[in-house]
Amino acid sequence: MSASPDFATAVRPSAGDGAGREPLLSVRGLRVSVADGTEVVHGVDLGVPRGSAAGLVGESGSGKTLTCRAVLGLLPAGVQVTGGQIAFDGAELTALPDAERARLRGTGIAAVFQDPASYLNPSITVGEQLAEVLRVKVGLGRRAARERAVELLHAMGLRRPEHVYTQYPFELSGGMLQRVLLAMAISADPELLIADEATTALDVTVQAEVLELLSELRRDRGLTLIVVSHDLAVVAQTCDTVHVFRDGAVVESGPTRRVLRAPRHPYTRQLIDAHERFGIDRVREQRRSPR
Amino acid sequence: MKAITDALRTRAGAVAAIVLAAVLVLAVTGPFLAPYDALKNSADILQPPSAQHWFGTDYLGRDVLSRVLAGAPASVFTAFEAVAIGLVIGVVPGITSVYLGRAYEWITLRIMDGLIALPFLIFAIAVAALLGNAVHQAMVAVGILLAPSFYRITRAAALSHAGAQYVTAAQLFGASTWRVLRTHVWPKIVPTLVVTTANATASALLIVSSLTFLGIGVVPPEPTWGGIVAGDLGYLAQRPYGPVFPSLFIMATVGALNLLADAIRDAGGDRGRARTLMRGARRVRLT
Amino acid sequence: MTALLDVRGLRVSLGRGRARTEILHGADLTVAPGEIVGLIGETGSGKTTLARAVLGLVPPSAGTVAIDGREVSGLRGRELRAFRRGGAVQYVFQDPLRSLDPDRTVADTLVEGLAVRGGRGRAELRAAAEEAARHVSLPPDLLPRYPGELSGGQRQRVAIGRAIAVDPRLLICDEPVSALDASTRITILELLLRLRETRGLGVLLITHDLGSLGGVADRVVVLYHGQVVETGTTEEILLAPRHPYTRLLVTSVPSITDDQPPDPAARRALREQVRALADLPRTSGA
Repeated sequence: MSASPDFATAVRPSAGDGAGREPLLSVRGLRVSVADGTEVVHGVDLGVPRGSAAGLVGESGSGKTLTCRAVLGLLPAGVQVTGGQIAFDGAELTALPDAERARLRGTGIAAVFQDPASYLNPSITVGEQLAEVLRVKVGLGRRAARERAVELLHAMGLRRPEHVYTQYPFELSGGMLQRVLLAMAISADPELLIADEATTALDVTVQAEVLELLSELRRDRGLTLIVVSHDLAVVAQTCDTVHVFRDGAVVESGPTRRVLRAPRHPYTRQLIDAHERFGIDRVREQRRSPR
Repeated sequence: MKAITDALRTRAGAVAAIVLAAVLVLAVTGPFLAPYDALKNSADILQPPSAQHWFGTDYLGRDVLSRVLAGAPASVFTAFEAVAIGLVIGVVPGITSVYLGRAYEWITLRIMDGLIALPFLIFAIAVAALLGNAVHQAMVAVGILLAPSFYRITRAAALSHAGAQYVTAAQLFGASTWRVLRTHVWPKIVPTLVVTTANATASALLIVSSLTFLGIGVVPPEPTWGGIVAGDLGYLAQRPYGPVFPSLFIMATVGALNLLADAIRDAGGDRGRARTLMRGARRVRLT
Repeated sequence: MTALLDVRGLRVSLGRGRARTEILHGADLTVAPGEIVGLIGETGSGKTTLARAVLGLVPPSAGTVAIDGREVSGLRGRELRAFRRGGAVQYVFQDPLRSLDPDRTVADTLVEGLAVRGGRGRAELRAAAEEAARHVSLPPDLLPRYPGELSGGQRQRVAIGRAIAVDPRLLICDEPVSALDASTRITILELLLRLRETRGLGVLLITHDLGSLGGVADRVVVLYHGQVVETGTTEEILLAPRHPYTRLLVTSVPSITDDQPPDPAARRALREQVRALADLPRTSGA
């Protein structure tokens, strides 16, 4: 089931920000099925121009995470791509052998997820784990990897990076761990970074810091971003384009401003309503509109 | 309870249940089915199996089939007795240790640790020496030694549910500890407990057999399965297949018990999924 | 007017021996009948501890908790159980799946509070379960089901239904919607608003997400490192926050209408200020 023709083409040049050039990632008609043959992603189209930030919004089970996993080549056991194309930087990914996909992860496409602690070994210091990524993926020597790791930790806004290097995961807060994971993700200079609910488990103030960091990375390193969130506001604040997922299909996509101001699909309308009625925006709106 | 009925629907569970039912019937009716007097000697010693003596005769010319049948109650029910004793002195402190304060918890834990450390045979012999060499005394000893595993398993299950949010919710309604135990904790413990009981009965049967083999608890000439094996072992040269008959009964019972335990564990293990599938038909239950 | 909930100078310490640390350093809080008060704070700010102390799940080391004018923080054992059976204060947990017993039906769960009180027959409880389900808009055919078969929103309805079945005056909700999807959130928040209208229920809404309080809370209490740093109407807090931490919170909430994202430099300065506050020794002499 493809979305209605109106919204089917996700690739729309968005205003400014150097976006709108040839797409770095282009997903066409992606279909994903689980082991018993049930299709859970029904022909998703997604175009992400180089240097832009795309936001994927939807509830759990809407297919946004599976789409990202398919792009990463990291679908759970039994789940597989049953149709469509995924082109990254001009190369078709679905046909690549597993070894090639694995090489691409980190150097081409990287990702951070919701629960950073579960991606780290609890009994090895975070610095050593970061240095190991640098040695394996970038091929740095022991000493160079250590120096680069400290630099990266510093670049992620962690204070006293030399000290953080020697700390174990349990000694760091969720926000700090997510910064460590981000350091790992960008250590091999990928072009595309997928942040899948990366700030969901964090406190609001920490979430704001991590979102700022993501925007900085995009600006300073020319990273292309895909931000996946159930929270429309998180996506609205960081992304040029929004793609609204529901029941395994993209129901609406377009430039963030257009989608927020003139939503075309009732579901998008509902998401915006939730914010306008129960969010901080309600109070802010009241201030703006004369009583 | 759900896990148990589910388990009986599997092939392994059904086979185990049938074998166990047969063993139980045998344990009740065995002595009456025995074709000969199990204690009566005859001149036809160490006979091979024949139409008169299906399992042959032993070194005193007694009919082995009759001895196996007559020995069934002593073998099976004594195992139950031991398990029942272990169940009571394991489960009660196991659950209460979670609720009755730290001092009580510490003491029960140390006692159970102590029991685990006891060498089983020596303890059984000591109890037999102390309380007299009879079957019930021996079973008390076995029961005490089975208690720690019941204690540990109930305690672990109770502990993991004692802090559950729905327990807190019940407490906030003013529910007593007893009510919380009854409505929320106990149903979570039962499936694990059934599995442990089946396993423990299997080991109790083996223990009873070993004890009777050694002459502790039941003294010859009273027949038990373990005792029959012991008697036959002396005449392997004449009747090499002798111990096979009583051993078959021990193995079948123990095997069926373990099979049943596994089936229940499998049925109860993947709780959520198995349950939602089977639940459609259940009726509304209030309180 | 007497407050429904009146918490004064509440101090709570958790842990044993040397690991004992004070989590709440003297918190004040009131909730009037029919009022929805948002209690906001980050992870570790002590907001859940405050709720647990109000419920009598952890003993306070100082301060008072009065419900309907009655001091309840000293209640123990039989007295506490009797007070709880009255059902004046109820609690709704964050994760509805874990707060519902997987082995008990929706009907059993909804009337658990009434069953604990005793004195009701099977038929009466059955009727009460149907009524509770109606109050939280649960279809009656869900009554014989088990929590594992329900959706997230339905589970949270069951949890709220269980709480209001005993006709409480005050409902304490700990992050009642943060485990739910956007569309479900609306229906749960609407439910709370309706219950406040129809029953004059006072609600203490605990959350880490200031952004979710906009159309719900009348007043907001901001908790930071175990201290109430600011209290005010929702509008005051969101539009004219005074305390640096509140200011940081407000600027951190992502918004869908802000065309200009908040200035990162200003936020960074605010962050430094708040961090400095956190490192200060307690002013109240703990």
